Amino acid sequence: MAKFDYVIAETIDDAVRLLNKPGIRSIPLAGGTDIYVAIRVNQPWFDRLVDIRRIPELTQITMEGDQIKLGAAVTFSHAIKSPLLQKAAPFLVEACKTIGGPAVRNCGTFGGNVSNAAACADTLPSLVCLEALANLRSPKGERQVKVEELITGPHETKIDKGELLTHFTFKAPPQHARSCFIKIGRRKAQSISRLSIAVIGTLDQYGKVETIHVCPGAAIATPIRFPSVEATLLGEKPGKEIIESAADQLVAEMIKSTGRRWSTEYKEIALKAIAERSLTKIFLEDGSSWK
Amino acid sequence: MEINFTLNQKPVSVDAPTDITLLALLRDHFKLTGTKEACEVGECGSCSVLLNGELVNSCLIAAPSVMGCEVTTIEGIHDEDGGPNDLQRNFISKGAVQCGFCIPGMVIAGEALLAIKSDPTRLEIREGLAGNLCRCTGYMQIVDAIETTANERAEKRNQEKREN
Amino acid sequence: MTDLKYVGHPAQRVDALEKVMGKTKYVGDMSLPGMLYARTLRSELPHARIVKLDVSPALKIPGVLAVVTSDDFVNHSNFGFPISDMYMLAFEKVRYVGEGIASVAAETPEAAMAGVKAIICELEALPAIFDMARALDPEAPQIGPTRKDGKHPNFLGHYPVYKGNPKEKFQECDVVIEQKYETVMQEHAYLETEGGLAIPTPEGGVVVYLSCQSPFIPRNDLCKVLGLPDDRVRVIVPPVGGSFGGKDDLNYQTAGQVAALALKANRPVRMTFSREESIIAGYKRGSMRMNIKLGADLDGTLRACEFRSLYDSGAYSSQSPFTSWRASIHAMGAYRYEDCTVDIDTVYTNTGYAGAYRGFGNTEVCSGIEQAIDEMADALKIDPIDFRLKNCLMVGDVTPHGQLLSESVGLSDCLLSVRKMSDWDRKRKEFAAQSPTAEKRRGIGVSALFHGTSLGAEGTDEATATIEIHSDNQVSITSGLTDYGTGARTVYTLIAAEILGINPERIRVHHPDTNTAKDSGPTVASRTTILAGNSVRVAAQNLIQNLDWAAADLLKCDGLQIHRVGEDYIGPSEEPVSWDVVVKHAREMGLVLSAFGRWSAPLIHWDEEKGTGTPYFAYHFGSQVAEVEVDLKTGHTDVIQIWAVHDIGKVIFPQGAYGQLYGGISHGLGYGLYEDLDYQNGYAQSINFDTYLIPTSVDMPEIKADFVEATFSQGPFGAKNIAEPAMVPTAPAILNAIANATGKRIRKLPANLERVMLGKELTKKGSPFSCKIALKIT
Repeated sequence: MAKFDYVIAETIDDAVRLLNKPGIRSIPLAGGTDIYVAIRVNQPWFDRLVDIRRIPELTQITMEGDQIKLGAAVTFSHAIKSPLLQKAAPFLVEACKTIGGPAVRNCGTFGGNVSNAAACADTLPSLVCLEALANLRSPKGERQVKVEELITGPHETKIDKGELLTHFTFKAPPQHARSCFIKIGRRKAQSISRLSIAVIGTLDQYGKVETIHVCPGAAIATPIRFPSVEATLLGEKPGKEIIESAADQLVAEMIKSTGRRWSTEYKEIALKAIAERSLTKIFLEDGSSWK
Repeated sequence: MEINFTLNQKPVSVDAPTDITLLALLRDHFKLTGTKEACEVGECGSCSVLLNGELVNSCLIAAPSVMGCEVTTIEGIHDEDGGPNDLQRNFISKGAVQCGFCIPGMVIAGEALLAIKSDPTRLEIREGLAGNLCRCTGYMQIVDAIETTANERAEKRNQEKREN
Repeated sequence: MTDLKYVGHPAQRVDALEKVMGKTKYVGDMSLPGMLYARTLRSELPHARIVKLDVSPALKIPGVLAVVTSDDFVNHSNFGFPISDMYMLAFEKVRYVGEGIASVAAETPEAAMAGVKAIICELEALPAIFDMARALDPEAPQIGPTRKDGKHPNFLGHYPVYKGNPKEKFQECDVVIEQKYETVMQEHAYLETEGGLAIPTPEGGVVVYLSCQSPFIPRNDLCKVLGLPDDRVRVIVPPVGGSFGGKDDLNYQTAGQVAALALKANRPVRMTFSREESIIAGYKRGSMRMNIKLGADLDGTLRACEFRSLYDSGAYSSQSPFTSWRASIHAMGAYRYEDCTVDIDTVYTNTGYAGAYRGFGNTEVCSGIEQAIDEMADALKIDPIDFRLKNCLMVGDVTPHGQLLSESVGLSDCLLSVRKMSDWDRKRKEFAAQSPTAEKRRGIGVSALFHGTSLGAEGTDEATATIEIHSDNQVSITSGLTDYGTGARTVYTLIAAEILGINPERIRVHHPDTNTAKDSGPTVASRTTILAGNSVRVAAQNLIQNLDWAAADLLKCDGLQIHRVGEDYIGPSEEPVSWDVVVKHAREMGLVLSAFGRWSAPLIHWDEEKGTGTPYFAYHFGSQVAEVEVDLKTGHTDVIQIWAVHDIGKVIFPQGAYGQLYGGISHGLGYGLYEDLDYQNGYAQSINFDTYLIPTSVDMPEIKADFVEATFSQGPFGAKNIAEPAMVPTAPAILNAIANATGKRIRKLPANLERVMLGKELTKKGSPFSCKIALKIT
């Protein structure tokens, strides 16, 4: 007796219908890299997998006007190869390169990464910085929720039962935007993030910070931006001291959020360092390449 | 559930439970034991196969999801006469094989890498193998084998170009 | 020595072809009609009394055909060597999380696990010890057996080396340093987990295909616990997917479990472990707390060493009496001392259990002593390689144990060579000039080792091989010592090919089978090349005599008038005669075309009380250099490159030797930087490869390696060994490089992110849950 059933969805409507069939708990199957690991130690919380990987719209990366549309079932490998993403959101591509190994990247998807919502999930900081919206379809209709608001805690999201995450949209950053993603892992590959950070910003014609979005990963319970940290930098001419001040503030905000935990002694130094390094990279263009 | 797909270039059909992984399908139903089970959480790459030409960990693939797809296992990697192909021969001649348990996965990962990158640097080869763990070899000779194969295939392509 | 044709030349591993084609069958790939699947109920508590064990509910589960407990064996399944404190399945007590209690055989793996879950097992928790420092407290709960000598039951043994009086000598030394170093347990992490397949035979016996290193040990154990004579129990070693010392003990229990189930159910029974089960239940490298005091003079002369340590054997003794002994012999490092004492005390705790793992005590002590040597070099302001060159053992030296090294000591050559290869001097200078405020810092560090070959004082040291020419003129070899990925089969092939003067492709080495091979002791201690290699050499030499005799008879001349060209025999007539023709003639003469070869190691002697003797008949020497880049702000260590030069005597199978060296270095790198089971209250927190991190291809650097052939006159063609020593110096080389880069010493392994950044560990509070859940994964 199989523990769960399997069905292929051909279209988005098909998938939504299958996910909402009464009497059978159905969840979407994208890469499967999180599901099969989870059911090794937990009883399946579903009776049926709805395979959404063959739905064309879900595996596409397209641009409509100034909006980039990233299908939920786009794999990390596909994203890494995408000229569109390489140009528009290089830090998102960088983040994808740090996930797992080649095989995991061939299967893992953005939809899976976001809906699994691990605190250390590597696409989240960049998506939050991009102010990406998650599009959720259900029999009731469609709604968009900012990724930053969608995730409410480790492995907790506001995705309702029967709702299908179909794609993400974000406004393509301006041409002169610079972005950076830095990850710290215990090992150089196939490593869960110990800590990470995504930053994206622009300078105005006077060389002052025009926009700046900062989102650390695996630092606090959910991936969020830190407006107070960003405010420290806005309108300022970037320099070593102001960047250090912003980094100190980010660390203080982290500790305020989590309190002093067992890992704080490590994270307060490491987070400051990667905040300084990523901000330096995008604003001071000092040529160093930080891993 | 009946699962129809192409396995090592042959169309196959099997009736299998819906909740098993591709790894279990290959080993238990098709008795293809070249693909190994070693961690079952997608960390070691011993279960590597090619799915539509791409490297995947079969321990994390839902068996029914390969319907209509092409799956290549180590049993499908060989020369026209059924013997070792150039990559496999280089694995032997470079000393890349010790206990052998990771080797099917390494060969598959090597083929997957060379399919998308024909002249990888040694670092790129290592990155292509980053999801395949080995505890015996320290990876050096495996990297040598893949590097040599890449060079030989490039040379062969150049030669074919010159002849045409 | 005349020019060698096969030994030392490029050669291909004999079993590589089937491995690259995916055709090799390991235990988990084997299946037979009617085969049952077995799983074991394992303890979820670190120390408990078995109050109630009722397996009858398991037998009611559909598909379950047999269940066994310690009641189903002779003497409750007691076994173990040198201390018989283990059981095939637990008797009355469990002493660590993961200990096997009962085994179930069923038609499907799911039914077997359902059977395991149905067993009624009531455990009464007993107080436990997890800290080795508390094991000998008067009020400590008893884990080990009650001792006849009245010493604390948790005391396993004391392992000394005594030369002179270092305490006094320290008073005279210009500089004295004293530091503590600590190591943690290490998991073998072979890619193939433990497993065995037992097949009942019509005569009431059993054949077991067992993924292990030393088939005669489980064969003898099975005879004992099953009450069967030795011709009714056969153990065959199929291809093994890595072992590194880890598939003994625990996998002998697997053998006992599947054999008993197979006999009870009268069906073949196969058990293979899940990864979590392998990590939780399997034994580990023991952890050690060291206190090292060194005394030296300003001119760089090392004079005295006092080494004291506590070694945690965990719940069972396993190999710890031997590991502790080897650790004691190597604890002072490969150096001359005027005065030197080593005291190692080994104890029992309930933190898993410790057994054999590559390096076998030397890996642990080397990580301490080689850091201490570096710290002394720093204190003396002498270059670390210069310091080692000044004090390292050389031919003609007497070791601190009292042994004269009369030959085969290549350590200084290794140090000189690795210094040059790594561009040591230029880099030391360059890195010393780094900006003090740089966040990413480069460093280069060195370490040296010696490693006694074979068993030393651990036991009788001899090996036997057989060699036979078959009717198709192919040659087969059997050896009591096995190849579990090490390349030993290829070594035997090359040795035999060289002696017989035939193409290696004619030779095949049988898989070890207790019915056909001759017991040659365990395949451990990197003894295979010398012991088995020599026994193959002797067997081939015995065989070739008959062939030479047949050739002389055929060519009608004196044996001395014949020379070999390729495989051919050429006599005074200059007409080449093929080997096949000579063999045919030998057959016609009625000569025996098979031979036996036995080789015994030179006698050694060790006085356990006095702590002196000749511990090993030969030593491997080596040196490694590591270059690192350390990020002080993240604690990340990037190993840029490693250089390794080892004295292994004559290199017989070059490709294999390099492979063993590279592979060993990967174990050492993991030991030094990443690998941490994080035992808390007896529960390992890292139980699969997502959290127990071994190096990937990206973590491993390029390695430049070379060999110094300080040949050993009694080794086959002058060979010594490589397998274990390959990993021993790597971690300390990396730790010394980190110290060079950062000025900070990491004295507890692994040098992970937190230790490198903060100089201390940060640990998340662990729980028993992941272990408990993992032991019931279907």
